[in-house]
Amino acid sequence: MTAGIPTQGGVDATKGSAPASAPRDVLGTLAAPSGPPAFDDHHPPRPELVSDCVHCGFCLPSCPTYVLWGEEMDSPRGRIYLMKQGLDGEPLSDSMVQHFDACLGCMACVTACPSGVRYDRLIEDTRQQVERRHARSRRERLLRGAIFRLFPYPKRLRLLRAPLRAYQATGLRRLVARTGLLPRLAPTLSALESLAPRLTRPERLPQRVPATGPRRAVVGMLTGCVQSAFFPDVNAATARILAAEGCEVVVLPDRQGCCGALSVHNGREAEAQRFARRLIDALGAESLDYFVVNAAGCGSTLKEYGTLLADDPAYAERAAAFSATVRDLSELLAELGPVAPRHPLPVTVAYHDACHLAHAQGVRAQPRALLAGIPALTVREIADADICCGSAGVWNVLNPEPAAQLGERKARDVLATGAELLVTANPGCLMQVAASVQRIGGTLSLAHTAQVLDASIRGLPVTHLLTRSTRSASSRPPSATR
Amino acid sequence: MTTTDISVLAAMLRAAIGDGQVISDRQELRTYECDGLAQYKVIPALVALPRSAQECAAVVRACVEAAVPFVARGSGTGLSGGALPHADGVLIVTSQLRAIREIAPQDERAVVEPGVINLQVTRAATPYGYYYAPDPSSQQICSIGGNVAENSGGAHCLKYGFTTNHVTGLQVVTPDGDLVRLGGRAPDAPGYDLLGAFVGSEGTLGIATEVTVRLVRLPESVRTLLAAFRGTDEAGAATSAIIGAGVVPAAIEMMDALAIEAAEAAVHCGYPQGAGAVLVVELDGPAPEVAAQFTQVEGFCRSNGAFEIRVAADEAERALFWKGRKSAFAAVGRISPDYIVQDGVIPRTALPEVLRRIAEISRERGVRVANVFHAGDGNLHPLVLFDDSVEGQAEQAEEVSGAIIDLCVEYGGSITGEHGVGMDKAKYMPRMYSDDDLDTMQLVRCAFDPRGLANPGKVFPTPRLCGEVPGRHKGAHPLQEAGVAEVF
Amino acid sequence: MPDAALAALRGASHEASSRTNHTDGVWLADDEPVLPGIRPRYVAAPGSTAEAAAVLRAAAAHDLAVVVCGGMTKQDWAAPPRRCDLVLSTRRLIGVVEHVAGDLIAVVRAGTLVTELRQLLAPAGQQLALDAPLPGATVGGTVAVSTSGPRRMLYGTVRDLLIGVTVVRPDGVVAHAGGKVVKNVAGYDLGKLITGSYGTLGLVTECAFRLHPSPAASAYVSRRVADPAAAGRLVADVLGAQVVPSALEVDAPPEGGFEVVVLLEGTAEGVAGRAVRTIRLLGGDAAISDAAPGWWSAYPWGSGDVGLKLTAALSGVPALLGAALAARERHGVPLRLRGSAGTGVLYVGLPGTAAPQTVAGVVDALRAAARDVSGHAVVLTAPAAVREHVDLWGPVEGLELMRRIKQQFDPDARFAPGRFVGGI
Repeated sequence: MTAGIPTQGGVDATKGSAPASAPRDVLGTLAAPSGPPAFDDHHPPRPELVSDCVHCGFCLPSCPTYVLWGEEMDSPRGRIYLMKQGLDGEPLSDSMVQHFDACLGCMACVTACPSGVRYDRLIEDTRQQVERRHARSRRERLLRGAIFRLFPYPKRLRLLRAPLRAYQATGLRRLVARTGLLPRLAPTLSALESLAPRLTRPERLPQRVPATGPRRAVVGMLTGCVQSAFFPDVNAATARILAAEGCEVVVLPDRQGCCGALSVHNGREAEAQRFARRLIDALGAESLDYFVVNAAGCGSTLKEYGTLLADDPAYAERAAAFSATVRDLSELLAELGPVAPRHPLPVTVAYHDACHLAHAQGVRAQPRALLAGIPALTVREIADADICCGSAGVWNVLNPEPAAQLGERKARDVLATGAELLVTANPGCLMQVAASVQRIGGTLSLAHTAQVLDASIRGLPVTHLLTRSTRSASSRPPSATR
Repeated sequence: MTTTDISVLAAMLRAAIGDGQVISDRQELRTYECDGLAQYKVIPALVALPRSAQECAAVVRACVEAAVPFVARGSGTGLSGGALPHADGVLIVTSQLRAIREIAPQDERAVVEPGVINLQVTRAATPYGYYYAPDPSSQQICSIGGNVAENSGGAHCLKYGFTTNHVTGLQVVTPDGDLVRLGGRAPDAPGYDLLGAFVGSEGTLGIATEVTVRLVRLPESVRTLLAAFRGTDEAGAATSAIIGAGVVPAAIEMMDALAIEAAEAAVHCGYPQGAGAVLVVELDGPAPEVAAQFTQVEGFCRSNGAFEIRVAADEAERALFWKGRKSAFAAVGRISPDYIVQDGVIPRTALPEVLRRIAEISRERGVRVANVFHAGDGNLHPLVLFDDSVEGQAEQAEEVSGAIIDLCVEYGGSITGEHGVGMDKAKYMPRMYSDDDLDTMQLVRCAFDPRGLANPGKVFPTPRLCGEVPGRHKGAHPLQEAGVAEVF
Repeated sequence: MPDAALAALRGASHEASSRTNHTDGVWLADDEPVLPGIRPRYVAAPGSTAEAAAVLRAAAAHDLAVVVCGGMTKQDWAAPPRRCDLVLSTRRLIGVVEHVAGDLIAVVRAGTLVTELRQLLAPAGQQLALDAPLPGATVGGTVAVSTSGPRRMLYGTVRDLLIGVTVVRPDGVVAHAGGKVVKNVAGYDLGKLITGSYGTLGLVTECAFRLHPSPAASAYVSRRVADPAAAGRLVADVLGAQVVPSALEVDAPPEGGFEVVVLLEGTAEGVAGRAVRTIRLLGGDAAISDAAPGWWSAYPWGSGDVGLKLTAALSGVPALLGAALAARERHGVPLRLRGSAGTGVLYVGLPGTAAPQTVAGVVDALRAAARDVSGHAVVLTAPAAVREHVDLWGPVEGLELMRRIKQQFDPDARFAPGRFVGGI
């Protein structure tokens, strides 16, 4: 079953019969390896992790690109096979890079794998090799450059929330103009506009929020990039819930920057490390019991800071200690147990597993339990829940066509539940599903888990969640003084 | 075959099915070099990904014209190397032929393309109150086309039978490149049962391009228990008692201590501590029937030494019982760097004796063997553990694995119960069948595939040529001239 | 004139058997019609697979055409062979070779009567779950023609129960396929190819079967209805319910109306519970009985009559019932209809005295109706006069491949030539 069993009497053609394994120069594309081996010595995908794969194929149906295209090279098993070829000395060819790039990083395969293959580690290591060693086309470079000068910066992102003509007049236009980024963002943004009316006034989060009732923990929270730019109400709701459940919340929004998740997920290792150090520096002085994250992609990265900075003697220990305190919002609320009374919300919701929550962090039961704990609320499951919605960080910006196909698949499955409200715990998913639902002509309200809990704890009527608005649930900032 | 031939063939295939549907990049081809049995690797000359039966037939016709062998592959999860590519041939992958054409509960049938995943058929049929019964452990990914080729079994075959009992119709591309229908929605089509011959022929008689399967009514009641025993003897005795009493459970599965350890490590299935063997017994059917027999089964487990019996309280607990069992193969990767999955069958009554002899072999050779099996029908899956980085261990493991197969034949069983012969077991075929038996099977092969282009080198130990080949003749076949093969 | 072929057959038989009187194994048919309408020269009744192989090798050497016969219950089925020099009888190939109750398998010689086998297995509480529509049928004949009865619904047919087979090929080579274990995917499933091949591919000498436990209890629940639509509705209701019938039959006697009968098998409690549910399902004057109706598991025709087999996708059964009744009306024949509505297999009987043109008209109508519901209409048996007017088989898919199979197994076309589809 595993690779490595020796040849048996002339049936293994890679060893048994020379013509089969010898590189055959056919069509030019079958050429023998040319160029340097794919990976250098700086954290190549680890061979022992590669050899954990027994080639059983259980990952295939969980992989969005395999579901779309049905080709081995665009499946986790195939990509691991390509990594193995790279380790065996194959060059980092354009086609190999293309298959690595096509991976959404959703980590559904990690959940599906019975052998415990750490594909998450493998693809991260592979990606930083690709970023360092593969020469991308000028067009690709421009596009990626623009993305990483935009997304990790909440202030720049916030400008995108203005109507199109407004940000066309800004410097942002020059940033994105010739890179092709703008048209790729436009559909998502317009969907968002219709679902979440433009903010009239940017909401300001307080520095600290005291606990309601006896203090049970001191908790920091990540304000994030996309979350704070597009869904500031989610952050406000998060702070209110934590306070209501007896947490003193340390927000410090002005000190926080990007956590580095997007950079990690796209192989931009040095950039990610810079962001990580900055965040640790910003919050390291606070003595926090927990650090709460309400964006799935960020949470999984924060939990891996120990690994990200393992080679940095000045930060390795602090990073690992910090990671140990990181919790997803739902995870912490489940750990603490509820104290704030819930008010009924008579509504049927479909809960969508964000990949970086369900697969990367293994958090599935807690958000469902929190939702189910709200009186009168019904939770419905979505078919093929383990398949990614196609958002995947900036994957939908880099790969708009397949992302749209995945999004429409997900939108159909979501609509098929008959739920009035889609609940999820990641800003990327919210935007992707919102755009997809609109594209296939459906209507659905969307909310972050935090907004639903917040509405229940505050006793708001369910209409606050169902007005096609992801922000109307919070009409005021969390109280800083009460 | 020369490189020019391959480029000509590639051009033919691209013209027939489109540029994007033919793979010739070496790195990409290598991702197809093995199926679920990764110890055998051959890089195919080309990979073709047809999107319709017509495209599949066009690919086969091109192969015939170029006199190039072809191998069909579904999800690539087979455990006998049945989809191992041919170095000079085309690998025809059905993973893009994945439409469920029709769920017809009124006919108790589903019509699907071969690349459809086994479990998807059940998921599509469940809303109508039906399901697809054959359930190989890889059902979440294995394709129906692959199931047809291998005549796949599964835990619930004890009661419901195998793929061959559940396929009522096929559209196939013959090795001549013709599309032919065998069987259909109705039973008992007139003429020879070519459908029966095709199912389980491991891709050597053609490629299925559409499959009509039986749907089975979802049972009214399903009850599952997990019984823990001190050892496999007691668990085996309980199995015999259950069957002997005339109970036909949907499934009786056994795992020994080592297999339990692996499953625990992988999926935390929470099997009872200290168990030397566990049985998972499932009964299904009408509620009163199941209730009566379930009590019987519990009694047999207790009277044969079960020290703990858990009854699945809900679907989640049932799923957990099964999760341990169904992930066992891959899970063994957690307790051993390398292992061989064996698949042999013995008469159920020989179970305790054969298990003792496997334990003896394991002790004598110092090779650990974990046992996972379908106890109800005597289908053993010994997992032979080894570490390839230690000199000589792999060879020892191979020997132990072969010795277990010999045991199966000695006790009147079979060299394979569900994984197929493929590449891996062709060499064992003469241990089970005489030359005359194998010759007779070759008659069928020659009728379907006189040129020997469909998945050559699989199932049968030595290549044989067919006496009469319709169409062009080019003098004596080189294999025949070299004395490697004989005409009969 | 010395009969070289006879001498060779006898020599082979004698050498391969321990019998001293060599005329026991092979004798002259003495112009007695062994089979209706056919006058073979020789009859052989080998006592073992080895002897059968020896005899068939001799027959091959002398280019003798061979027809295998067992209980003589279905020799008038399909087309009469074009040639027949030697009748090979399985009358001496009898008995159970092996019955392992713990493994629920039995290995049986081909000439054993199905009814005898039933009696042999019963004491162990086991059964070969094959109905015997024709009393006197042998195991070998049942396999060769693949006959089935009502309980095919739960247990399947020969192809589902035959796990191993020993065959003597037309060239006298003995071949085994499958084995003695139920689960086995080693090599081609020749058993399925042989099943239903009407003796055109070789002689079956031994069969290994999967057995089932005999049910502790059984009950027949029946109801009469007037028209095919009502019968169809009852059938659909039973299929959609959770009563797990072992059989779901309909019978339509020439005098009109339908009887729908459900057979339930299992534990006493289980059967009682399901019987109550079934009565409720069938409604009306549904009744329960311990005994099968008189027509149960019998074909709706007698010796010398015309017998047809109709198949349909399940949802097409009511349409097929309707078409049969319409044909009865239009052609004014006392057509009798019966079969396994729960599996889409129906049988039609017409009197042997019916005019050939009338029968041809009925066959055409039923064939068209069967085709519309993805099925076939095959004339299983008919008097010689009728055969001249009808195509027995109708359209056959994959005929070219079938011819090639025949060519491989029997290149000289000596085994029941002409009996099977497409003149095979």
